[in-house]
Amino acid sequence: FSSSGYRINSDGKPAKFQPPPKPVIIDKQKQREERRFLSPEFIPPRGRTDPLKFYIERKDMIQRRKVFNIPEFYVGSVLAVTTADPYANEKSNRFVGICIQRGGKGLGATFVLRNVIEDQGVEICYELYNPRIQAIEVLKLEKRLDDNLMYLRDALPEYSTFDMNMKPVSRLDSEEIPVNKLQVRMKPKPWSKRWERPKYNIKGIKFELPEKKMKEAQKWSQPWLEFDMLREYDTSKIEEKIWKEVSEALQK
Amino acid sequence: MLTHDHVFGLVWEFLLTFEYTAFRRRERGPEPSFRGSTESFQRRTRRRRKPAEAPPTVAGLGAAGPWAKSGGRGGPGPCRSPGVTAGPAAPSPRRRLWSPPSPPFGEASGCSLLAAPGKFACAKAPPLERGQLGFVVRHINSTTWWHEHLSEENVQFLKKTTAEEYKAQTDSKLCPLKDEPWPLNEWKPDSIRVGVVAVKLGMMPIWTKSGKKHAVTLLKVQDCHVLRYVSKEESGGKTSKLLVGGKNASPFSKSESAMEIFKEAGPRKQKVTTFNVTDDAIIKPGTPLYAAHFRPGQFVDVTAKTIGKGFQGVMKRWGFKGQPATHGQTKTHRRPGAISTNKAAKVYRGKKMPGKMGNIYRTSFGLKVWRINTKHDIIYVNGSVPGHTNCLVKVKDSKLPTYKDCNKNPPFPTFFADGDEKLPEDLYDEEIFQFTDPSVTYA
Repeated sequence: FSSSGYRINSDGKPAKFQPPPKPVIIDKQKQREERRFLSPEFIPPRGRTDPLKFYIERKDMIQRRKVFNIPEFYVGSVLAVTTADPYANEKSNRFVGICIQRGGKGLGATFVLRNVIEDQGVEICYELYNPRIQAIEVLKLEKRLDDNLMYLRDALPEYSTFDMNMKPVSRLDSEEIPVNKLQVRMKPKPWSKRWERPKYNIKGIKFELPEKKMKEAQKWSQPWLEFDMLREYDTSKIEEKIWKEVSEALQK
Repeated sequence: MLTHDHVFGLVWEFLLTFEYTAFRRRERGPEPSFRGSTESFQRRTRRRRKPAEAPPTVAGLGAAGPWAKSGGRGGPGPCRSPGVTAGPAAPSPRRRLWSPPSPPFGEASGCSLLAAPGKFACAKAPPLERGQLGFVVRHINSTTWWHEHLSEENVQFLKKTTAEEYKAQTDSKLCPLKDEPWPLNEWKPDSIRVGVVAVKLGMMPIWTKSGKKHAVTLLKVQDCHVLRYVSKEESGGKTSKLLVGGKNASPFSKSESAMEIFKEAGPRKQKVTTFNVTDDAIIKPGTPLYAAHFRPGQFVDVTAKTIGKGFQGVMKRWGFKGQPATHGQTKTHRRPGAISTNKAAKVYRGKKMPGKMGNIYRTSFGLKVWRINTKHDIIYVNGSVPGHTNCLVKVKDSKLPTYKDCNKNPPFPTFFADGDEKLPEDLYDEEIFQFTDPSVTYA
């Protein structure tokens, strides 16, 4: 029994059967595939080097990635790295810290982890492709407001302390990477660098300086820099090509 | 009237006719003991005199050139009152401060004898060739590029035909072992084999199995061919030479004479070097040379032109300390300071002073070869190499006596691609960490 035959249109005539609208299925797997992450060390720097050199280096990097998993992480995520150390007990060394900087291109790519251990700030610079690294685990995957968290050296130590035995924070694969909009409080001046100046372009500090100082810092701003065409380096097409190459090679 | 200039000319001629050149070809003295010794220094900084150089004679070429109009005043003469104009009348007998160097002696000095005193003689200029002048004149800048006066079709046609020609030439010589090979000899500890011309691609880190990191330069062997064989008698040296050429380049921007070397050998190469080679290591001209000519674990010397820095001061060029920035220094912060002592009463030859820095050939000795990529012809060489990225570089077996044992039994005289050996794509040294292995652990 269906009551569709008894429906009457606004005109007075019998209504035609309209099937219900199709449900929109959000395929999380597809979403995850669409979200691509290309590690920044694959993108070649601007210069007059032969692209063949970058291709040879990429082959080596892909080779290493096939054997050893280098996870996706950003500046601001908390990582735990185990390295082989000939002088340690059990010959291995585990360090947990927040990634404050990712530098270098190609095989020499590095990342710096910072932590405060027994009131002493410790920063260790690891090479991504060093064969002595035995494991890299991402304990907390998140982004921050800046690409470079060097100002944590002048921030209060609580912002750089992480428990050495921290448990990894679980997250679903499909979610977007969360951006931590934390504004960090600083120690009193002097700082190692004048972070209030516009050249560092830092958004993650809660500046408690007087207005006068902030205004004075703007004297060093260079507003023409963002319009400088010679400094433009559009990496979108290069990234596409390299992403295709890398993903195909890794899937094999 | 015989002036002192004429006498000088006569004396000079006399010296020449007396086989002056024979005086120059003296025996080389004993080898200096070490690089810092006085003899070694003096030998390196000795002034070289070319035989064609002659002191400026009066009977220079008075023919063309703007100097003839000056009427031979020679220098800033006394000022005349504006009313009196000294027109360019008969040239005065006073000697010019500078006259162009005269070419072939016979003609110039012959003319000087014939010339009446006080008159300039025109010497016969040698037959002029295109682009060359008989004497040094202010630059005539009339540069055109090779296809400025050609139509587009002709340009395309030329490019196509030359490319096809060169391809055919190189292909015909691709199988050196299969058609008329030169005799292959066995390697002996005394034999010196050819080297290779490569392109510097860039640098990269590599790790050893013990976990140590080393920096490595990538050198790509691009279109390296043997161009010519020069026998010992022809070259006049102690060993026979092989001319080897590097990267291919366009044949259109060079003159015909420069292209003569490449007529039989193939396309024009950007860099042509000579390698001194023992007689048992000679190779037929036209053979291609590959990166597999070297093997990992070998040691190599790399020569190239250093990056040119232009005219540089004494602090950058020689590493002088300069002077302090403050404490009363007047206009002296990067200067050399004293250049000699009081007793010497002169400045020694070779004194380190500001000048053009870089853009000279330098060699890095004893560099280890870590890895060879046979597919792309790339040599991974330890450490850094002189020159900028994409510059052409000369690679040879090391001459250092410490590495004599490591360079034993190389592919002799070279690696032939059409031979029996089939090499894998990558050749690694024993100690290098290959990325196919798992991570390094210390047990």
